[in-house]
Amino acid sequence: MTEIPNRITVKEWDRRFAEDAAKLMDAHVPYLKPLTAYVEEGDTRLTRLKFDPSPASLWLWNFLLSENERLSAKLEDGHRLVGTMKDLGTVPVMAYSLPNLTAFYPDGAWWIPCIMEANASALKAAEELGINESVCPVRAMVGAIAAESDFPVPGLMVCAVGATCDDFSALAQFINGLGHAIHWWELPHRRAPAAGEESVTLQGGLSAPASLVSFVVEQLAEIRKALSKYAGSELTDEALRLGITEANRARSLIREIRNAVFSSKKRLLSAVDLLIAEMLIIHFCSDRDECIRLFEAILSEVRQREAVEPDSDAVRIFWVNPPSDIKAMNILEDCGMRLCGTDFMFTHSLSAIPEDLPPLEALAMCVLADPMIGPTRDRAGMITAESRRLGAEGIVVSRIPGASHCAFEGSIIKELAGEELDIPVLELEIPPVCDAYEQSMRGRLEALRETVIARRTSQ
Amino acid sequence: MSKGRAFLGIDAGSRTIKAVLLSGDGEVIDSGVVDQGVKQAELAEALAADLIAGAGLARADVAMTVATGYGRDHIELANTTFSEITCHARGAAHIAPDARTIIDIGGQDSKLIKLDEKGRVHDFAMNDRCAAGTGRFLEVVASRLEVPLAELDALSAASKSPCIISSTCVVFAETEIIGLLAQEILPADIAAGIFAAIASRVQAMAGRRVGEPVVMTGGAALFEGLHEALEKDFGVKITVIENPRLAGALGAALIAKDKAEEG
Repeated sequence: MTEIPNRITVKEWDRRFAEDAAKLMDAHVPYLKPLTAYVEEGDTRLTRLKFDPSPASLWLWNFLLSENERLSAKLEDGHRLVGTMKDLGTVPVMAYSLPNLTAFYPDGAWWIPCIMEANASALKAAEELGINESVCPVRAMVGAIAAESDFPVPGLMVCAVGATCDDFSALAQFINGLGHAIHWWELPHRRAPAAGEESVTLQGGLSAPASLVSFVVEQLAEIRKALSKYAGSELTDEALRLGITEANRARSLIREIRNAVFSSKKRLLSAVDLLIAEMLIIHFCSDRDECIRLFEAILSEVRQREAVEPDSDAVRIFWVNPPSDIKAMNILEDCGMRLCGTDFMFTHSLSAIPEDLPPLEALAMCVLADPMIGPTRDRAGMITAESRRLGAEGIVVSRIPGASHCAFEGSIIKELAGEELDIPVLELEIPPVCDAYEQSMRGRLEALRETVIARRTSQ
Repeated sequence: MSKGRAFLGIDAGSRTIKAVLLSGDGEVIDSGVVDQGVKQAELAEALAADLIAGAGLARADVAMTVATGYGRDHIELANTTFSEITCHARGAAHIAPDARTIIDIGGQDSKLIKLDEKGRVHDFAMNDRCAAGTGRFLEVVASRLEVPLAELDALSAASKSPCIISSTCVVFAETEIIGLLAQEILPADIAAGIFAAIASRVQAMAGRRVGEPVVMTGGAALFEGLHEALEKDFGVKITVIENPRLAGALGAALIAKDKAEEG
């Protein structure tokens, strides 16, 4: 068990690397390196971050930062890579059900500027193709594929269109235009069932017409065919069931971590580490079994801390959307606040996939619970309910510059959650490298904390 | 005044540094404003020294100093800092205790602060996308129209047909103004159009419901044309508080007094 909230820098981590790595010997993490090694490879952003000081966290960051090497190694071992886009968590469950497929999100490359600061080659490559900063940061994916710079180009790409971002669809079409085959599927807009229409209850208290579930099942059936053909072996219902069971193991663990962190009166895990851990769930960072082992280690750390840490009076914040610069999570804590809830756009991938239904139907219901494919008011309602349940004292809605799906949601969430819960809601635009904007961000977050503290005092 | 406890509030804004010196019983002894600069700590120090000496006090008589504003972390003489939101709310509520909404248009950002019945911040919003909707926008426009900033108001008053400025970015709006001038649109109509554009952006930030009374703080509150445009957009009476640009510094000084008394 290690101390929190004393977050540490890369330098401090390097100093204690030998000791921490030794603690992970039982977990067999052969790829562990001091984080400085990643800085030297170009991940210079790491030097500006502060991390959770546990060995589990060292493992987490190594797992995250070694993904490219892992993908390359898998390719060399005969695995086939699937690039999946926009479903945020469903297609990977299917792909990992086949032993020789490894799925990942090429659009995860949009995070590269968070890690590599402004020298991200993928963004530069995208710009050379005429895709500039007026497009969502996921444009990094185009540059990375064109330049073959940040990950091995997958032999099969599966992209959802329909109720997804216009920017993203345009970028995926651009990739298609570069000669890369894409299996397109339609992710329908989730609507409320009409009067008398057969309906299905989804995760998060949502509902949808049963006809929409059937439609998505048909779409997933086509994906199944594409994956089977690509893998050279059929993706059977039995294989899918086993894959769902394993995905549920990972989902169960991350839910336990979140529940422990959010419900505790203590600070059990640093915000930036929790963000990264949550992000792993959508494709297991290219190794599902390793991801499960890592989650077990983080959960163990969190539980040990629960037993010994003192209570914290940090302001409890529900955070909406992943910040485009992960340093924002550090800044939140610097300003005397902590996470008590999150909606990083993929809450549907945190829930258990029903194991008592035909697998494609179970997955279709997860797809339709995606918070990003329905009315923003649905999402705002879920955020409001979760914020209430978790005792949030304030909500931060972070915006990603140029990301079209964010245009109105902040004001809708502010209106609904702010009025129903009577708590302050702060909209915060966070650029991919926020250093120049940090003072302004701190000012807003400090104002939020002061507002909450003043309310506490008056109650 | 007799020597004793005094309290100092400093608002280190993007365009100016403001300071308010309070007596032990909370009365304003003196206030001052200087232009912001590279060495803001020294500028603030000099301003504070002037106020303290002018009141016949010594530095030791100042029991506590609170700094606010975007440069607050650089004000070395401050004992502690608070955000502009908290300080503007405190200052405005002191002057207008019934106020439920504060519109503050500063040099670098604009804020909308909702207050509860006790004058505490209930919620707030700040523009953070660009300088459109801020005092800086007015400076750019005045420069482009070749009038001193202080005359922008009088210029807009002569407008009979305010033009529509559609750009939401200062840089693009400046380009738009150049285009309007090329079309021989009257500078008065452009100035009035700018006030309307700023008002529209602030109103969009406010959401659907705005609690009344509404008051206005910040240096831009001194532009009557902007004030009128805001009243038109919000559809409510908006009162410009006394010495609007000192609201943040006054709030900081009042918080200094509160903190000192809390011990």
